[in-house]
Amino acid sequence: MTLARFDSKAWLLVVALVAALAAALMPPLGLQQDVYDIVAVVDITGSMNTRDMGDVGRPLSRLAAARDGLEQLAAKLPCRSRIGLGVFTERRALLLFEPVPVCANFDAVTGAIRQLDWRMAWEGDSYIAKGLYSAIELGANLDADLLFFTDGHEAPPLAGGRVPEFDGKPGAVSGLIVGVGGDVKSSIPKFDDSGREIGAYRPHDVAQDNRHGLPPAGGEAVAGWHPRNAPFGAAAAIGDEHLSSLREPHLRELAELTGLGYRRLGSDRALLDAVHQTLRRRSLVEPTEIGVYPAAAALVLLAVLYGLLPLFSRAPSSRSKLT
Amino acid sequence: MALALSTPAVLWLAPLALLPLIVRLHAPQPYPSLAWLGGDPLSTALEVGLRLAGALAILALLLGIGGLHLAGQTTRQIGNGAHIVLVIDRSSSMDDSFAGSRPTAEQASKSAEARRFLRSFVSNGEHDMFGVAIFSTAPLQALPLTSHREAVLAAVDAIDRPGLSETDIARGIAMALSMHDDDPSAASRAIVLVSDGAGVIDRRVQEKLRAAFRKRPINLYWVFLRTANTRGIFEPPGAGERDVPQVAPERHLHRFFESLKIPYRAFEAERPDSIGDAVAEIARLERHPIAYVERTPAKNLSRLAYAIAALALALLVAARLAEVRITAERVP
Repeated sequence: MTLARFDSKAWLLVVALVAALAAALMPPLGLQQDVYDIVAVVDITGSMNTRDMGDVGRPLSRLAAARDGLEQLAAKLPCRSRIGLGVFTERRALLLFEPVPVCANFDAVTGAIRQLDWRMAWEGDSYIAKGLYSAIELGANLDADLLFFTDGHEAPPLAGGRVPEFDGKPGAVSGLIVGVGGDVKSSIPKFDDSGREIGAYRPHDVAQDNRHGLPPAGGEAVAGWHPRNAPFGAAAAIGDEHLSSLREPHLRELAELTGLGYRRLGSDRALLDAVHQTLRRRSLVEPTEIGVYPAAAALVLLAVLYGLLPLFSRAPSSRSKLT
Repeated sequence: MALALSTPAVLWLAPLALLPLIVRLHAPQPYPSLAWLGGDPLSTALEVGLRLAGALAILALLLGIGGLHLAGQTTRQIGNGAHIVLVIDRSSSMDDSFAGSRPTAEQASKSAEARRFLRSFVSNGEHDMFGVAIFSTAPLQALPLTSHREAVLAAVDAIDRPGLSETDIARGIAMALSMHDDDPSAASRAIVLVSDGAGVIDRRVQEKLRAAFRKRPINLYWVFLRTANTRGIFEPPGAGERDVPQVAPERHLHRFFESLKIPYRAFEAERPDSIGDAVAEIARLERHPIAYVERTPAKNLSRLAYAIAALALALLVAARLAEVRITAERVP
């Protein structure tokens, strides 16, 4: 009797053994991980109640869609990312809580997101541009990147269509404006004092034009113009400000002005990709278990050993040994 | 005790583990006649054992790669504490100091002081659950009742940012009550109201609050941050002043709370330190037996699985090394 030849099969076995041992004994490796610091500010003004998200069978209000998008994003962020939450109405953002690590506080964070509600709004007005500027300030303050969920519906309309000046440095705070809403103008649900829905906004319920401040240049040409009594002309303002759609051009303009990115709320995957592309990354060294790589190698070797080799070595090589 | 996989999809590869049961690893050796060799239990056991070792190695590697772990558990324990909703005033007057002026280097704003003491209150309440509501012109629920301390502290930290204009205490309290409604546990409940002013509460709203308080036992604490030269909550109005809510809303809110017939304490803080005293007193009072959930983190078993795979492979290698080849000249 002699010892069996130390052939390829034996080598495969030994290498698999070494790999498995490595997987079992290898210490965790400090790997670089990119995380994000985010403060998410959600528009909770009246127009966000418009139900033009979701699908035909299950319409969803814009606010609900924003909540869902944010919640799904929170679930997909790298674990040690931090997320804070704020709301916007009137002309400013109000912080609900400062950024906290998202995984360790997951149910608190998602619980807070889920209860975002238009009833929290303290004023009916919706000065998107000013609110965005205040949210940017908030982001700068917290050293976090901004996610601003809004439909871009300014109420009252901007005076003369002029966007208020942004006095910060464009791009000093990075972030995304996330547009929420449909392309078609839809009616905005109206609620009474106790929060019951009582129909939709009608043309005379909202300001159709902003007639505060100075009249636009060339206002003299308007019918019924009078310098003191009717500087905006005598005709009543008409328009469809009582209907709402996603004002993408306005939001793109704001994004350009402030150096933020713009992304329309779509699938949660797309939002996460936009976050990856736009937001600042903070690198952390995270002890990571890497045993899975040698273990996978060992598994492949065993699969070759038991699966592939026998297939190919049906040849009668071992049979001819007795000659 | 529940075993779980992080990536259950690896189980699709589990049939690989059947391969060693079908395929023989050691080379078959020709032998002139086996007829005279009788059954040999030891050989059979060895044969079966080696095949099983192969299957075990593959299975263990698969489970390790799939992230085999002992799922985290939650166990219910009994401790001391309560479920507390902090209702915090964020009207713009909270941004002023106790002297009623803009905060200076020596005198921080009322909201900053409140934040400091509430932080220590939250950090010390080991088994408490906290929710945070803020109110001003409208009530806002900042955080539902949660035991995640870090999130509560983050919500408390957010209070010393510029506030909104008014103070609508009634709706703030209604919000806190509804937050308690959302929490089904049988814990002892409390509302801690921190404000520097009060408003007149409408008679109808008073009735609604009264009804809401009657639904469940709840303790109410009011930490009133009294600005210099303003009315206190305990002082009767001066001579010649009418004792009506419009003149002294704080005093009348206090009387309304007293009329609720619930455990209620009011603290008047005129200096930052007295906020600390009030909060410490509340912490001392709110120590009731409470069932809380303790989480044990998940335990990763991947390494154990790899070790088992290595052991099985070591067995196979050993068997391979011990294998002998029967050569022609040695055949008996």
